[in-house]
Formats: sequence, C-alpha cells, structure tokens
Amino acid sequence: MNSADELLQVENLLFGYPGREPFTSAFDFELHGGEVVALMGENGCGKSTLLKTFAGLLSPRGGTVLLCGRTVSAARSADRMSDRERARLVALVRMGVAPPARMTVREFVSLGRTPYSGILDGRSAEDEKCIFDAMDLLDVSRFADRAIAELSDGERSRVFLAQAVAREVRVLLLDEPNAFLDIPRSHALFRTLRSLAHDRNMGIVVSTHSLEYAERYSDRIAVLDSGTIRVAPASNARAEGLFGWTGEF
Amino acid sequence: MKRIALCFGTLFLGVLFFSVWTLVSGPVDVPFSKLLDSLMSPDSSMVSRILWELRIPRVAAAVLAGMSLAVSGLCLQTVFRNPLCGPFVLGISSGASFGVALALLAGISIGHFGTLGAASVGALVVTLVIIAFASRFSQSSVLLVAGLLLGYFIDALVSLLIAGAEGESLQVYVAWGFGSFGRLTLDGIWVFALAVAVGLLPVVLSMRYLNSAHLGDEFVRGLGIQVGRSRLCVLVGSSILAGAATAFCGPVAFIGIAVPHLSYLMFRTTNHRVLLPGSALCGSLLALVAGVFPQWIPLNAVLSVVGVPVILYVLVRGARQGRSL
Repeated sequence: MNSADELLQVENLLFGYPGREPFTSAFDFELHGGEVVALMGENGCGKSTLLKTFAGLLSPRGGTVLLCGRTVSAARSADRMSDRERARLVALVRMGVAPPARMTVREFVSLGRTPYSGILDGRSAEDEKCIFDAMDLLDVSRFADRAIAELSDGERSRVFLAQAVAREVRVLLLDEPNAFLDIPRSHALFRTLRSLAHDRNMGIVVSTHSLEYAERYSDRIAVLDSGTIRVAPASNARAEGLFGWTGEF
Repeated sequence: MKRIALCFGTLFLGVLFFSVWTLVSGPVDVPFSKLLDSLMSPDSSMVSRILWELRIPRVAAAVLAGMSLAVSGLCLQTVFRNPLCGPFVLGISSGASFGVALALLAGISIGHFGTLGAASVGALVVTLVIIAFASRFSQSSVLLVAGLLLGYFIDALVSLLIAGAEGESLQVYVAWGFGSFGRLTLDGIWVFALAVAVGLLPVVLSMRYLNSAHLGDEFVRGLGIQVGRSRLCVLVGSSILAGAATAFCGPVAFIGIAVPHLSYLMFRTTNHRVLLPGSALCGSLLALVAGVFPQWIPLNAVLSVVGVPVILYVLVRGARQGRSL
C-alpha cells in the first residue's frame, strides 16, 4: 500500500478529554483504503474516545489527525476542513444511539444524506438512489417502513450501517457493533464490514472485545494497553503478544 | 406520499372551511354573497365593518396563533427530545404574563403600547435570558430545567402582584389570562404576521438540525451540523413564535403541546419538512375550531374541555395501534 491509499493519518496523537491525562503516549497510525483494523483493549482504555477523535468529534490533545490528507479537528482552525466535508468522509457508528420510537428505517437511513443536503434538507434523485442502494446492500429494504424501535438488534445494526453507507464515507468507524448481537449475526456483520472495505475501498476501524472476530476478519489489530497503542497484522498479533492484556496468554 | 398529500389537502380545506365559517357566523350573520362583495370591495356598511374590523382579525389571530404555537411546540419537543414540552415550558408565556401583570396590576406601563407591548417585552426578556442560557450551556436537559425554573420564578412574581392587586385591575388581568383571538386589530395583523415570519425563518433554516436532533448532539455533529448554532436558531425562533402568540392572544394553552402529536399521528413521519407545515396547518385548524364557540366562553376552557378528550382518544387509539409517542 502506498501513501495515496492512506485515508486516515495520525501523527504524534495524544487523545483524551480536556482537563484529564491523555489515554496513551503520542503515537502514529495510518488507515488504508480496503483495510479493516480491529481496535481492542479493556473497558475504559479509551477505544471510544479514540474513535471520536478519529471522527473529528473530539479535538486531539496533541498531534494531528488527517483525513484524506486534510486536518480534521473539533476545534476551529484556519486549515481544518468544514464539518460538512468531514461528515462526507468519515462516519462513527455507535449502536447505543437510541432513535426516536417513531422514526422509520427509511427515515433513519435517509439521514445519511444530510451532509449533502441543502438548507431545507431536501433529497435529490441521486440522494434517493444512494439511500435505496444502501438499504439494498445491507438487506434492510424489506422493512424500510417499520419503526427502528421494533427491529431486532441484528436488523438494527444493519440499519445503522446502511445509514453510514448511504453517506458514501471513505472511513467507517464502529464502536463495538456486535455488543448486542448473537454469534451468527456477529459473523454476518463482520463479513459485511469486510466486503464494504473491499468493494468500496473503505478504511474501517472497528472496536471489539472478541479476539476471534478480530483475528478472523481484520487485516490489522490495534491494542490500547497500559498507556500505549500497539499495532500488528492480525495474523501476527498473537505471536507478537498483543493479547497479553486479556490475561489468557 | 399520497397519504401526506391527502392530509395536507384535508387540513387546508378544514382551515378554509372554518375561516369562512368564522367570517359568516356570529351575533350578526353575514350572507355568503355579501361576504365576497365585502371582501373584494370594502365599504362603510355595517356588514363590511364587522367583517374587516372584527372577524378578519379574528380569523387571522386564530390562524397565526395556532400556527405559531404548534410550530413552537414541535420545535421545543424536538430540541429537548421530550414529548411533554410546549411553548409554556421555557417560561416565555410566563414572561408575557409578567409583563401584562406589571402593566395591569402594578401600573407600570411600557410606553403607549398597553397590554400588547407589556406582553411583548415580558416574552422578549425571557427569550433573551433563554438565549443567554442556550449559548452558555450545551446540554438540552440543563436548558430545559433552567427554563422550567425560570417559569416558576416568574409565576411566583406574578402571584405576588396578584396578591396585592385591586379588584378591577385583577379582573382585567384574569380576562387576559383566559386567552382570546378577539383582541387583534386590523392594523395589528401585519405586525403579528411579521413576528410569525421572523420566528419561522430561523426554524425553517435549521431543518437539517430538526430532522436529526432526536438522535442526540453527538450524532448530529457527526452529520456535519453545528449543534450549538442550530439549537440557538430554533430556540430563538420558537421563543419569538410563542412570545408573539401570547402577546397578541394571551396565554393560549394546549395547542403547543398537543398539535405536534396530532400532526405525527396524521402524517406518520419524523421528517420536519412535512411535520412543520403539517403542525402549522393543524394548529391553525384547531384554533379556528376553538374560535367558533361563543366568545363568552374562555378560549382556554374551550381548547381544554373540548380538545383534551379528543386528543386523549386519538393518542390512546394511536398507542393501541403501535403508534405511541
């Protein structure tokens, strides 16, 4: 992979909440198109915070986050990309978001086109096609007019993914997407992520607690542990001792 | 889409029907033929004067107030993600009441604008306080609690004024508190319409925020929307709408909280491109229906006594069919 494939580039990154110690020491990281990276670590180690920082929803405490070569930051600065530009490039999918009881699947997926809409939030024919394609790809079209609240966890996770796919982002960040899913649905979800990365040349970072899914479906594994981040190819992660934090190895 | 078009058509026809009804019926009946003549070419006849000086302002007041309160209620329910929110919840109506109480009960007049000016200034002051809160605190829940507390505080001040008030002025104040669409004058229509337009503008321009606000601030920011600025716009717009309606018609209860739910049950969408005009039409229709009752019955009593059972029935029926709030 060459530098042109780098969708997300992180240099000397310190991340965390203002007024608190950063979660790790400064580190570099790149995410390439077509790649799935599993982000692992104990509860409270900073996985969600790191994903928010990658998504531009939280300003880095130090260093830079570049998205497709441009600075992304929650703080105002002259060279930072606009919020809309950012939203067209990166999506953070959190399954814990509770959509209103009344919102239908189609309405929720349609929100994925908000970064492209005008001031009155209309949807063009192109938007409608993206929404249709995303629902089709994630196989949620058949319950498009049902309320999200009525769906099973597996169906809901596909709807959340469809919303991000409709956005046509280059970088997809997922925060524990299989937390509420059973084993077959978890496998199905990770297979979908793999095919999204491959077919759409997306870069995907997915946080998970499952070693099995991480090793089986990701290209690389990043582990946040004891104030550092270690990254290794998924096939070598075990040999390189990346799973020491689990207490099993 | 068919359903939405049908609902809009029905509501529009309803508004048209009750507007005409309000114009032709009353202590003096106006024949339909004379109605058209007087509307097209006003003259000094009694019918023409009744129409232009009393009934047209009454229709305008009902349509504008219904629209304002419904849109304001919808926006506040969306921003605060709370189905129990309404224009009264942020203390705007209490602010207007306090202004009127100062003018009527304490004799502190605000220029030569009388009750209307007092209500406007009261609503405006509370609106400014809310805007100051909104620009300082990013959490909707903090803002909601602050608004509620502000309302209670102002209501307490009003009750102090009431406790020390004289009988006659107290009677005038109580009458104002009943709410009425009969206070608007022909000249005042344009001022009210302008205030409504000014209030609607920031709301309409925040459509992207309104459509996603239910999912929480972080989700909205992820969509590339500036949450703080958008929320401020919606709150300013909602406050102006609620303040204008209260200033011109008194504290009109019920419409702001109930109409957004009715509107959803009709249109069955969370898209504010549909819900906003739908609520506006629904609010206008409800206000017009309430306005056709004899004027000696307080408006708020009509809205509550007739409206609450109907709305409860609709909501319970909706909940049984899985379309709960």
